[in-house]
Amino acid sequence: MDEMIEFLHDGPLSPIKKWGTKWSIWPTHLVTACCGVELAHAFASGYDGERLGVLNFGMARQTNCIVVEGAITRKMARILKMTYEQMPDPKFVIVMGVCGIKGGLFWNGYHMVKPFEVVPVKYFAPGCPPTPESLLRCFRALQDEIVTGEAKNTIAYPRVRLKSEGKKKRPKKVPPSPKYVALNPSVVVDVPRDRKWEEGMEYRQRISEILGEVAERITVTGKYRIHVRVSRDKFVDAARMLRDAGFDHVKSVNIVDVPKNKKFIVEYQVSSYLNPEFIRLILTLFTEIDREEATFPSLVDVWPSADYLERELHDLFGVWFEGNPWMGKPFLLAPDTPKNPLRKDFRLQEEVYIGGEDK
Amino acid sequence: MADTASLVSILLDRILSIFVDEMINIPLINPIVERLMEIPFVNVIVAFILWKPIFHVLILPGLLGMTLALLFIIYFERKITARVQWRVGPKEVSRRTGGVIQALADGMRYLFQEVIVHRDANAFYFLQFPLISFLPVLLPLMFIPAGGTYGIKTIYTIPAALALISLIPVFIVAMGWASNSKFAYIGSVREAFMYFAYEIPFLLAVVAMIVLYQTPDPFEIVAKQWILGAVMNPIAFLAFFITVLIATSRLPFDIPEADQEVAFGPYVEYSGIIFGLVMMLPYEKLYLLSMLSVILFFGGWNGPEIAILGDLAPVIYLYIKTILFMCVVSLARSIYARYRLDQSLRLGWGVVLSLSMIALFISAGWAAWLRL
Ligand code: SF4
Repeated sequence: MDEMIEFLHDGPLSPIKKWGTKWSIWPTHLVTACCGVELAHAFASGYDGERLGVLNFGMARQTNCIVVEGAITRKMARILKMTYEQMPDPKFVIVMGVCGIKGGLFWNGYHMVKPFEVVPVKYFAPGCPPTPESLLRCFRALQDEIVTGEAKNTIAYPRVRLKSEGKKKRPKKVPPSPKYVALNPSVVVDVPRDRKWEEGMEYRQRISEILGEVAERITVTGKYRIHVRVSRDKFVDAARMLRDAGFDHVKSVNIVDVPKNKKFIVEYQVSSYLNPEFIRLILTLFTEIDREEATFPSLVDVWPSADYLERELHDLFGVWFEGNPWMGKPFLLAPDTPKNPLRKDFRLQEEVYIGGEDK
Repeated sequence: MADTASLVSILLDRILSIFVDEMINIPLINPIVERLMEIPFVNVIVAFILWKPIFHVLILPGLLGMTLALLFIIYFERKITARVQWRVGPKEVSRRTGGVIQALADGMRYLFQEVIVHRDANAFYFLQFPLISFLPVLLPLMFIPAGGTYGIKTIYTIPAALALISLIPVFIVAMGWASNSKFAYIGSVREAFMYFAYEIPFLLAVVAMIVLYQTPDPFEIVAKQWILGAVMNPIAFLAFFITVLIATSRLPFDIPEADQEVAFGPYVEYSGIIFGLVMMLPYEKLYLLSMLSVILFFGGWNGPEIAILGDLAPVIYLYIKTILFMCVVSLARSIYARYRLDQSLRLGWGVVLSLSMIALFISAGWAAWLRL
């Protein structure tokens, strides 16, 4: 087997093989993020990558190159590996965008993976997004490498040394990573802004008639926005009352993490499709729960549309919604993602830049 | 000893006389051939290559001519698509000639790539079908004559060639089955559906032309075409053209191998040179059907005589006409979008079938009138 590979690499037929491979790089494009737009641009009428014999292809089995377009998340990394393993040898990987180098825009994100840790990458096209020229330059460099066997820059910039001003040198150090726990004052979500909505008081009256004793405080916080503070124990009752009054769906479920006061603020934003009276109103039902033992009664029985939102928050914050059937399993995040990545005291593996070329 | 030697020489003479009887006559290379014919043994080889059936199947318009035509048509297809989209298309591989050898480079790359046989595949059939699918491609070449050369001379050549060409989809379906993957399965089922949709109108269109000329013998058909068949019965030509598009999976109907939906359907698991072989299959079919359509509709190998080429001139006329027809068909790729399966089934069973029926009536009318 090794002899055959040896024969293919250096045998008398190898020039033909190299020539064929050089002029027929067919990349499958793994569009994971916005760089895909620029790839399309590189193969459209302006730049026309097909001049070089590079033909975009959808399938892995028949091609010999992957272009990774941008960010690779933990979930996508599996797919990248699978695609790479499907391809027949010889195969190459080109990565577009800074996202594929160190994470770029998403640097230090809990969901990012560096492609070069998953597959052997031949060339990077840096930029956010890189220009079509730089992608095509990657292909040129790859073609040269296939024939000559050595990786070279296709462009060489002259080396310039900046003269120092003679004053005191700034130390070459990157500013320290920001503190993770925000020390801002306690978060208040229902600041009254009555002036913004004249008729708001009538609606407020109407809501307080519906909820009666259950509501602790009802505030108009903006145009068509009303916040209702309810205690945790009466939350489900309040939700039932609102639903019976015509609020028929949940628009969004939020959690605000306030580590300073050791609490979570849980908000349900509800509205109505069918009751014309409340059609424009967005009502936020919120309460505060303890951060240490974060459990909360699920509202799936009241509003089925809260289901997926609760699952997502369980993923990101680790709040246990009692009664939601999905609890305890990952929903959106890949199984190997660190737990509760959106809590404010969540710490990633520290990553350091190595600044400058002479340390 | 002497006896054996004389026996061998007698045998060789016999064989030689068989070949020489039906040798292709090209005045241009006659001096060289005559020189070679004087050398023993070599003369048998030369006579064998120039023997009409062998020349027909192996050189022109057979294997060699077909390979060249396919390499050209793939390049042409990419180039014309690029031009329609305001691009340049393949170029850098050979700058001077505008990249004509692009398809060759792709072929070389496939030749040296790894061939993967995945675990779920039925490996025996998976590797076997691409190779034996050359049978229904090369055998019709034996039957379709090219004027100066021919493989097998009977008057039933066109029905025989059609019967063999209709075998190709069976192999494609079998490849999809051997691949044992879901995309291949979907692609095979689509291929089977399309097969039923185009085969009947296709055969009817050909039968219409046979009725028109009142003979299935291509030599007579070509001799009778002082008016082109496409002018005599344009409806038959229309039905034939659409069914050729469907049969060869050209773009408005490339439903079995739609790469954006089912990732090349039956061929999805093939890689390396085996993929190169199976990908050639629709193109080879296109070549055969184009040749057939030139014979039926465009006067076959009719053309002015060229004395210096002798028997080769009609072959070259047929070859050039075939390539022109293929170019027109491949232009469809860059113009049309893909039909859905149900739409093209409706088209095949509805419009095209009725078109071919009408064509049959027109032909019958011509035949009755011409006989009067
Ligand atoms: S590098 Fe920029 S353009 Fe490319 S995927 Fe990342 S964010 Fe998007």
